[in-house]
Amino acid sequence: MEKHFSLQNGPEPADFLKKLKIIIALLLIIFFLLLVRLFYLQVIQGEELKQRSENNSVRFRKIQPLRGLIMDRNGLVLVDNRPSFDVLYMPHKGKDHEAVIERLKNIYKSRSLELSYDQPFPQNVKLYQPVKLEKNVSMEKVAIVETNALSLPGVYVDVSPVRLYLDGEIMASVIGYTGEISKEELEKTNDEHASGDILGKQGVEKYFDAYIRGRRGAELVEVNVHEKEIKNLGRIDPISGYNVVLTIDADLQKAAWQAFAGKPGAAVALDTRDGSVLAMVSSPAFDPNLFNSGISYELWDKMQNNPLNPLSNKAISGQYPPGSTYKLIVAAAALEEGIITPEQKIFCNGSFELGNRTYRCWQKKGHGYVDLHRAIVESCDVYFYTVGKMLGVDKIAKYAKLFGFGEATGIDLYYEKRGLVPTKEWKMARTKEIWQVGETVSISIGQGFDLVTPLQLVNAYSALANGGTLWRPHLIKRIELTDGSIYKEFLPEKKGELALSKKTIDVLGRALWGVVNEAGGTGSAARRLNSDVCGKTGTSQVVGLPQSDKARREKKISAFQRDHALFVCFAPLKSPEIAIVVIVENAGHGGSVAAPIARKILDAYFEGKKKLKPAQVAAHHQLPDKLQD
Amino acid sequence: MIFLKFDRRIFQHFDWTLLALVLAICAIGILNIYSAGFSASESHFPFYVKQIQWILLGLFFMIVVFLIDYRVICQAAYLIYGISVVLLIIVFFYGYTTHGSQRWISTGFFAFQPSELMKLALIIVLAHYFDKHNSDEPYKLRELFIPFVIVLIPCLLILKQPDLGTALIIMLLFASIIFFMGINWKSFAIALGSGLVLMPLGWYFLKDYQKERLLSFLNPEHDPLGTGYHVIQSMIAIGSGGVFGKGFLNGSQTQLKFLPEQQTDFIFSVFAEEWGFIGALVLAIMFMSLILWGLKIALHSRDLLGTILAFGITALISWEVFINVGMVLGALPVVGIPLPFLSYGGSAMICLMTAIGLLMNISVRSFILKS
Repeated sequence: MEKHFSLQNGPEPADFLKKLKIIIALLLIIFFLLLVRLFYLQVIQGEELKQRSENNSVRFRKIQPLRGLIMDRNGLVLVDNRPSFDVLYMPHKGKDHEAVIERLKNIYKSRSLELSYDQPFPQNVKLYQPVKLEKNVSMEKVAIVETNALSLPGVYVDVSPVRLYLDGEIMASVIGYTGEISKEELEKTNDEHASGDILGKQGVEKYFDAYIRGRRGAELVEVNVHEKEIKNLGRIDPISGYNVVLTIDADLQKAAWQAFAGKPGAAVALDTRDGSVLAMVSSPAFDPNLFNSGISYELWDKMQNNPLNPLSNKAISGQYPPGSTYKLIVAAAALEEGIITPEQKIFCNGSFELGNRTYRCWQKKGHGYVDLHRAIVESCDVYFYTVGKMLGVDKIAKYAKLFGFGEATGIDLYYEKRGLVPTKEWKMARTKEIWQVGETVSISIGQGFDLVTPLQLVNAYSALANGGTLWRPHLIKRIELTDGSIYKEFLPEKKGELALSKKTIDVLGRALWGVVNEAGGTGSAARRLNSDVCGKTGTSQVVGLPQSDKARREKKISAFQRDHALFVCFAPLKSPEIAIVVIVENAGHGGSVAAPIARKILDAYFEGKKKLKPAQVAAHHQLPDKLQD
Repeated sequence: MIFLKFDRRIFQHFDWTLLALVLAICAIGILNIYSAGFSASESHFPFYVKQIQWILLGLFFMIVVFLIDYRVICQAAYLIYGISVVLLIIVFFYGYTTHGSQRWISTGFFAFQPSELMKLALIIVLAHYFDKHNSDEPYKLRELFIPFVIVLIPCLLILKQPDLGTALIIMLLFASIIFFMGINWKSFAIALGSGLVLMPLGWYFLKDYQKERLLSFLNPEHDPLGTGYHVIQSMIAIGSGGVFGKGFLNGSQTQLKFLPEQQTDFIFSVFAEEWGFIGALVLAIMFMSLILWGLKIALHSRDLLGTILAFGITALISWEVFINVGMVLGALPVVGIPLPFLSYGGSAMICLMTAIGLLMNISVRSFILKS
């Protein structure tokens, strides 16, 4: 090879050779150092490391963080954490796993306890990957496992935090629940999550999970055969999640829940001044604590198949025909479009003829001559059939959209439905059929294709109450750090303006006041002294049932085909503060079923305010005094 | 048209030693990947089969590159470089993300890592540049500005992915070539000084996990959990191999999947556990032979271009081997650099094989061009 050595074209072969010599020397030094390191590990430390490898005694353990607290608007804790004890099994090499499990079973049995891990132990279990035998066990079991550690190699108890939902099902539909991350969720995520992580699965727990969940910690420990720590090789502490302060008022929420007394339906109370949600109830609900330690399959199945749908939040994902509560929108449209004047009267003889069909008023004998005010107060159907037909479906749709129907309100929750505001175009696209005038007539009293969620309905009335501002309803006031300092504040957001004239708003407001407070009003059950409640009743038909009462009575109507009872209101008339919607499924008339529930919520609201008042008044009075001094 | 003239001498002087060395190392790699994936029954298309495919594909590119005279290839240096930069920019916008970094272009059939191609492209473009701007004097800082920019562009794109390891390799490669070409001592001092000043600034551009890795190396107590855990497991695996190893398919750390990334970055631990100090020594000697052989080719090349090219390729392999082995031995921080020819990975394998093709190219033509 020597003879080839020359660099004829190169600039300075000697220079390169010199440099290459340096480089080769450096390479050999690095090479030698690495070999020394290798020798040190394999030959000098070899035996010791071999021992460690055979024991497989180094464990990497994740430490779950504490989730942030969830509080109501007054700082009352609604969701806390508590320790949960799990029994785990670490499969060591060459151990008879089934025998160990069998022994644990027998030890339990001798104390008449049962091992909830009943499936056969997997044959090809992954060695040194812990298997969860039982979750959330009693202290008795913890004691048994600990005292029998010697005869149960590989079995040990692990503590991790789980959620404690202090109000159980009362808050369930708002707050949601948590659970271990599922396979699907794990696949979707980046490196952020690992198996075994606890995630919010529904409600606020899910929507604000990123704030609430905190950061996982971990530790590296050397353990003995009983998985007891011999030496801590390092630890990163978990970081607790942020606390969430809701706009919910716990007392009002409780009152609303109790007012339902288990009847299926939903209620929402909004602060009309900024769109914050004071209470949101969906009934029946579930106990979120059940999900903590993994809900049993049967129970989950039962909930899923329950026709009353306890797992869904009906306030945002229940869609109902609005019934007579929709008359407000038709009235607003007619006034703004100049179709009617408030004084103009229409004669109601109890029915409305269109072609060969007859549309009945709920009042069979008719209301006689009614103006807009009386039509709303007594909820005259014929008046609105007439006005609605004059307006046409697309004009009604225009105003319905202004009021926020047909689109999600944007509340801080997942699974919100959009409802449905039908138009001619919509029907053509959907069914390839032309819109019928009769369908407009149905729409005018909130039947037919119309669908609204309870939240949309209350938000629409709230907008009318506050003089025309459509707020984005929100559930979160602020997020706090663990020391109580504010991390992020959530300000109210405007979603739109109704763009109605002041006169229209006044006329409609007074009419709604009449519904509750005037003789003959359909919502008198919600009347409250000195509160000036304004509202509207509604009774929405579930399916196309025969119109006449007689025919209905003859047809045996099953429980799930009965009408939904609706009531939506705000109070007081002057400077309104609260708007409430109540929907009771398959319960009958709005005025007799839904309005009394709303009344109870109103009671709770105004009583609660009275309790707060003295303190506020006192504070208010002190200030000027000082200023005068 | 040099590259079309098939010369029988190409085969007469073919560098069989180089090919044999590379193929032997690749074979060890296949056995190793087979073992690393042995107890994992999940994949119906195991890693070692794919690795064989990559090697075959690599051999194809190797032959193609071998047949075309390297001087012709280097005439397209800026084109190759430009394509590589464009690919990196595509990754920047449309790249496929795994494990929190965006490094891949997915073509539907396979995913490609342009940063691997960039390593080779940089060697070619730098060799071309220094061949054209040859000077008898050591280079001054001003003269190194253009090559610096050439390196900086891909380096920033790769840092952004983020892929600290590859960016580091590129910087080391650049430094090696400059050192080899000769740099004015004053310039060197200034470059080093400004580098040290800029380092704290660069700290702000690092991702949290990269900072943690550096910290955990500088102070192992800092993070024994993240990468520290990997290194501890890797050291246990290597150490437990002892002098003679646990035997093929018998590495308990490997078979229990205690090793992180055991097909890729930590493949050396698998080998050292199963084949012991003796096996590791043999492998190390093979790598060392390959590196020295590469330097020999650099020295014997007929022109400056070939010398720089061969030196650059050898430097790349050396740095990757040393950093990877240092990392799994717990002697260097975990920066995620694969072990050449052994780690599982298509892009790296194909690019390395192509680089070996270039080396052969230079080796053979040093004979042909002389006579």
